[in-house]
Amino acid sequence: MWSYAFKRAGTTAVTLLAASVIIFAFIHVVPGDPIYVLLGDTATPDQIDALRHQLGLDQPIILQYLTWTGHVLEGDLGRSIFFQAPVLSVIADGAETSILLATMTMVWVAIIGVPIGMIAAVRHGTWLDQGLSGGAMLMASIPTFWVGLYLILIFAAWLGWFPSSGYPSIFEGGLANLRYLVLPSLALAAPNAALILRLTRASMLDVSREDYVRTARAKGIRPWQVVRRHIWRNALLAVVSAFGFTFAALLSEAVVTETVFALPGIGRLVVQSILRRDYPVIQGVILVIVVVYLLVNLIVDLSYRLLDPRVELQ
Amino acid sequence: MRYGLSVLMRGAIVTATALFLNAQAGAATLLREATIGEPPPLDVMLTTADVASVIGRHIFETLYALDSTYTPRPLLAESDREEDGGKTIVIKLREGILFHNGKEMTAKDVVASMTRWGNYGARGKLLMGAATSVEASGKYEVTLKLSAPNGAWKTLIADVNGGLAIYPEEVSTSAGNKPIEQKDYIGTGPYKFVEWRPNRYVEVEKFDGYKPVKEKADGFAGARVAIFDKIRFIPVPDVGTRVSGVQAGDYDYAEMISGDLYETLSKDQSIQVQRTNAPIFGLFFMNSKQGILKDNYKLRRAIQTALDKSQALRVAFGPKDLWNAEGSIFPKGTPWYSAEGVSGYSAHDAKKAKELAKEADYTGTPIRLLVSTNYQAHYDEASVFTRQLADAGINVQMMVVDWATLLKMRGQPEQWDIFVTHHSFSPDPLLLTFLNASYPGWWDSPEIGALRAELIKSTDAAARKATWDKIQALIYEQVPVMKVGDAYTYDIASPKLKGLNPNGPAFWNVSPK
Repeated sequence: MWSYAFKRAGTTAVTLLAASVIIFAFIHVVPGDPIYVLLGDTATPDQIDALRHQLGLDQPIILQYLTWTGHVLEGDLGRSIFFQAPVLSVIADGAETSILLATMTMVWVAIIGVPIGMIAAVRHGTWLDQGLSGGAMLMASIPTFWVGLYLILIFAAWLGWFPSSGYPSIFEGGLANLRYLVLPSLALAAPNAALILRLTRASMLDVSREDYVRTARAKGIRPWQVVRRHIWRNALLAVVSAFGFTFAALLSEAVVTETVFALPGIGRLVVQSILRRDYPVIQGVILVIVVVYLLVNLIVDLSYRLLDPRVELQ
Repeated sequence: MRYGLSVLMRGAIVTATALFLNAQAGAATLLREATIGEPPPLDVMLTTADVASVIGRHIFETLYALDSTYTPRPLLAESDREEDGGKTIVIKLREGILFHNGKEMTAKDVVASMTRWGNYGARGKLLMGAATSVEASGKYEVTLKLSAPNGAWKTLIADVNGGLAIYPEEVSTSAGNKPIEQKDYIGTGPYKFVEWRPNRYVEVEKFDGYKPVKEKADGFAGARVAIFDKIRFIPVPDVGTRVSGVQAGDYDYAEMISGDLYETLSKDQSIQVQRTNAPIFGLFFMNSKQGILKDNYKLRRAIQTALDKSQALRVAFGPKDLWNAEGSIFPKGTPWYSAEGVSGYSAHDAKKAKELAKEADYTGTPIRLLVSTNYQAHYDEASVFTRQLADAGINVQMMVVDWATLLKMRGQPEQWDIFVTHHSFSPDPLLLTFLNASYPGWWDSPEIGALRAELIKSTDAAARKATWDKIQALIYEQVPVMKVGDAYTYDIASPKLKGLNPNGPAFWNVSPK
């Protein structure tokens, strides 16, 4: 298992290098320029050229890439043009929100998606299964921003139970600040729980058709024990894998929810930085996201072995 | 024993209540404003972004400030005099003005700021382009010498937006053309910079050393008194969230609410609606440097003749309260209002447009219209006009890009024929971007060159107005830009806020009821 982990780490490093080249190239291929956004409407060409020179944006792309890579290897992701702060601290600030939001969402997804998926699978073909699957389809189809706006309207503006938007750090206001993430995590959980529900159901139905399940039933084992010992555990592999990727995706792709709830998360940071062409931030964030994806991928692969001893890691 | 316990408990309750009340009385008051997004660096001298100016005007100040009629009044200046036929301007500064670092503002700080503004400021060239020298002629006196008089000099230095904000000398000198760092956000305003948390907020707090002018508050001019202890400018990009946030009491003020919500919100008792008194206006710039429209004034007039501006305004801004199909560049009620040339503003005459296009030898070549979707109004206006122009046989090809790309592309004359933007309200014609020959569009015909020189040189108000009338007539003849119409943006606030500024979001003199 350790040699497998080392091998995978090596592949990860190569992937990372390739990703860094692609990130850098793509960002600089896109037309537009941070200087125009920074100086605004009335800047003269002289002012634009002077500031571009000051920020080193007039150097050849290769040179800019090598300088950036050099700094990254030293642990320095550069300095944001717009926030006037180190990219690492900007990302760290956004990461707190994104990690907590993704975690809370996954808790909702696990609480709602998995048990209901199991019930639907066990009651396969009944009106209960039809109802639950139909409900899941509905949840998956409603756009997140719509759910978000209605959650704000009902639970913040009308009932006043939760704050409407924003998120002050838990390091400043304590765990009570997690209440700011309740509505956004519910909005994000709706479509994701629906997907996990359907996946749990489908995966359990697949496993329940296996020979060993039939044998277990023929042996007279109680139905719920068959489900718990033989079906659920084996169906879990696919669900865990989906959990890993959903979590990684939530870290970086919750941009719509973050915008609706004015959350200072990673998704909003990256979109905003793209619109303003804040190159150091875009490069830094995408690099960190790639690292997270690769790590999650690695952890998921390694966890297969723990969940299912039959899996061999080579 | 029981009596003793009861006394103890009563004592404890009284102490706790006193502590609570004391804490309440001593609690800092905080105003939370929901802005439309994250600002660029708050170096207001360099940037013209409104979101930076709104925050920046609480921290930084100018020598003059505009009152509610957009007339400049002294702020950091005390008085001024003109010599040598207006070519020498002597400004006497107020004494005892402190920067947020505790240092007193003197003429040296003003000279350093003026020099940096002249070199790199977004609007610095308008005045300082003709400066031959600027020096401290006393500890509290600055002398500016110009090669030719400038009739609008006071207005040009009366707003922080890309304007002459006064920074400490060492800040201006060390920053050069780079935006100043956060540690150097040091001004003389009623609020001082505290911190900037990316995507969370920018916080400012009351500056105890602030010395207001004696005159009564009027617009941005007059006495500024910080009543709230702190202000947080919180980026809330989604307009629906800004509205719900004010309704839920999470924000006290929210900027730039969309037109479709205007009628509902006007009737909502839980908020107050604050409509701006200074309209913005959409502008379609013609390329005067290159391409099919370069100097084909007849074709430009054909385009303008085909358009119905009201239709575009209705689509872009919604309720009639929020827009006005006004052909005068300056709105009614301002000293610059003019009816010259406005008959050509919105004729909506496809037949006449076709005739004019034919006379202009137009053969159906596609006209490239550069527009961004970042501003929905721009896109709406462009879509309506493209259809109206098609009815008149004028073939428009829309090039839709994001704002950052548009800003770059519009600087390249070979890329476009028309581009869409908007202009904020200007207190003086010299601040209009299209009168600047180096602004994309590059309107620099001999006729406008002569009139522009006349407008700058003249210091008499009536003579300047007469020149402006001629310029507006020329705008409708040569069509360097097409004005879409006046649009009034609006903000919303908690009904508890008192003393809101009609000129725009500025929270000094604002108090909780």
